[in-house]
Amino acid sequence: MNSNGTPKQKFIFTDSGRMEKILSQYPDKRSATLPLLHLAQTQEGFITGAIIDAVAQYTEIHPAEVMDCVSFYTMFFRRPLGTNKLQVCQTLSCSLNGADDFVDHITQKYGTKPGETTSDGKFTLLKVECLGSCGTAPVIQINNDYHEGLSINELDKLLDSIP
Amino acid sequence: MPLLKIDDKEIQVESGTTILETAIASGIEIPYYCYHPALEVVGSCRMCLVQVEGMSKLQVSCNTFIGEVHPDRKVNGKYDMVVYTQNELVVKERKNILEFLLLNHPLDCPVCDQAGECYLQDYSFKFGNAHSRFEEEKRVRPNEYLGSQIVINHNRCILCSRCVRFTQEISGTSELFVEARGYNSKIAALEDKPLDNLLAGNVADICPVGALLSTDYIHKNRIWNLEQKPSICQDCSVGCNVDVFSQQDQIFRLTARENQDVNGYFMCDIGRYGFHRFEKIERISHPMVRNGKSFNVLDWDEAIKKTADLIEKSKEKTAGIVSPFHTNESNYLLGLLMKETLGYLPPITGEEITFPTKFRISADRSPNLRGVNDICGDLVKDFTSIIKTRDIRGLYILDDGVDRKLDDSWKDILAKMDFVIVQSYAMTELAKSAHIVLPGLAPFEREGTITNDKGRIQWLRPSLATKGDSKPDWEILMLVRNALHKESEYFADLGEVIKKMGDQFPNYSGISLFKIGTQGMALT
Ligand code: SF4
Ligand code: SF4
Ligand code: FES
Repeated sequence: MNSNGTPKQKFIFTDSGRMEKILSQYPDKRSATLPLLHLAQTQEGFITGAIIDAVAQYTEIHPAEVMDCVSFYTMFFRRPLGTNKLQVCQTLSCSLNGADDFVDHITQKYGTKPGETTSDGKFTLLKVECLGSCGTAPVIQINNDYHEGLSINELDKLLDSIP
Repeated sequence: MPLLKIDDKEIQVESGTTILETAIASGIEIPYYCYHPALEVVGSCRMCLVQVEGMSKLQVSCNTFIGEVHPDRKVNGKYDMVVYTQNELVVKERKNILEFLLLNHPLDCPVCDQAGECYLQDYSFKFGNAHSRFEEEKRVRPNEYLGSQIVINHNRCILCSRCVRFTQEISGTSELFVEARGYNSKIAALEDKPLDNLLAGNVADICPVGALLSTDYIHKNRIWNLEQKPSICQDCSVGCNVDVFSQQDQIFRLTARENQDVNGYFMCDIGRYGFHRFEKIERISHPMVRNGKSFNVLDWDEAIKKTADLIEKSKEKTAGIVSPFHTNESNYLLGLLMKETLGYLPPITGEEITFPTKFRISADRSPNLRGVNDICGDLVKDFTSIIKTRDIRGLYILDDGVDRKLDDSWKDILAKMDFVIVQSYAMTELAKSAHIVLPGLAPFEREGTITNDKGRIQWLRPSLATKGDSKPDWEILMLVRNALHKESEYFADLGEVIKKMGDQFPNYSGISLFKIGTQGMALT
């Protein structure tokens, strides 16, 4: 049951082949926790309670331990986000090279503060810690791709080009 | 064996022991939070830092092992390790660690239930700084329920993770986890999987600070007002060792008392909260004799005499009903009084529950069934049918205080009896139907020995004063017995009863309360 009393939907991996493959890679099942969570998040967009239960079942650990892991990592999302995640690096080099201007620009353009999602659900603006690409600062990661050393103009064009 | 030098002491230690264990065993104080002898070592609180000669940084003593080193590398040619627990560096580091641990602490000791038995207080007092340099705003979080009987005050939590490891390793239920990380870390349970297992109450015991609180005790009293007395839990035949905390003969809480041969460091919640049951019981405060539909109060001399006379008159036809809730001595004395003891009232049973680290709750929810079987010989559970078929006209019942409905077969039995003597602390239906009622003691008032289901005999000591005009059960039985015997055969005290019991039952021989002590002893 969910806390509001509705029955919990069971989570099912659509790519069950991939799921089985991940599980078979680890002699100790609990080691599959992270890759399974990633797979589930790719499918669902964020980590639901049902995902926690499903992963716990496959890895044979307690759901609380899965939650311990999910909450530790910032790349697992606990709530639904927009289709495109605009992740602006906040750490030193990017900060010095205008990451804040990125954030301000996006906030103005879409009316979203960091952490918020546009009303059409297209974009979520996120501040993230070091993306490990300091040499090409400022860096913005959109979904899984890095975009490095952009000017505000280039950023603007890039955003407009997203369908 | 490696030779350790710790401060000024030289100690030979078993290879593979940690510095902290060695220090604890030899009475050297090293402060610690996350270490707990029953749990895996994580070395996360840093409270136990010490300096080890030859190592550039301070080491966590809970996770630094002592081993034999090559003769060429021994310090001063003889020591395998040299440790300083009190030098300047260590003292300074301790102050710093404590300052960190108190950054977000609300310093609300005046309203904290842990005050008086809190390691944050004790270590701050002993090792800490009187002032903090922290000028930011403290992080404040509201209290939360982790389970129906455990509340967490996050602001006091030092994140030692003892509670998390307890649910993972001891109860095996894993409800607790550390949510998020760094500054945002906090202890949590999933909303739909709360901390509600039968060992949950232990987390409040093992939390070194006032973060985990039992709803049963929260804001009820101050620890320094309570008297602490060692006792034994009487809610199942494991017989966990406990401490009873009371004020003016009212129990406020029970906590587990360490006994590696019985319960380790823990107890279950059935036993922990079980004492509340006795609070509502209607006590019998005076000896009474039936007068038609009601009772007349007797004084003890009359009551003992009347009881002895009844037994004397029909000794051949009187039987005793013993009780697995009573001590060995009471049951033994009843056996001496009677020509035969037939059995005991229907026992209370439940499910046998075991936890991964062998902690168990016995299916037998009485404390002394083993003792009854050892001392009272062949007993039948269903003695009611025997009473019906045999010529028994009097009963002396050691009542267990459980208020049972008397069914028809019992009513038949009672109708057939010339007399029924009930010795009880509670006005049960059985007591209400008796001819003579003798007021005994409630579980935490009793004294004597009980034997757990593994054959360990333990000393049950009174934690509370007797109520009203009631007397210890063994004493009542002893007085009745004395009344039936020549003075030369009198028992004078509990010790004599125990000795006599040992003469008759070889595996109880050589036992004394002194020998049993606080940890009990295994029967031979
Ligand atoms: S609640 Fe207590 S036992 Fe648990 S981590 Fe915090 S301080 Fe440690
Ligand atoms: S296991 Fe048995 S003896 Fe121990 S606390 Fe629970 S009920 Fe009491
Ligand atoms: S007791 Fe050693 S680090 Fe906590």
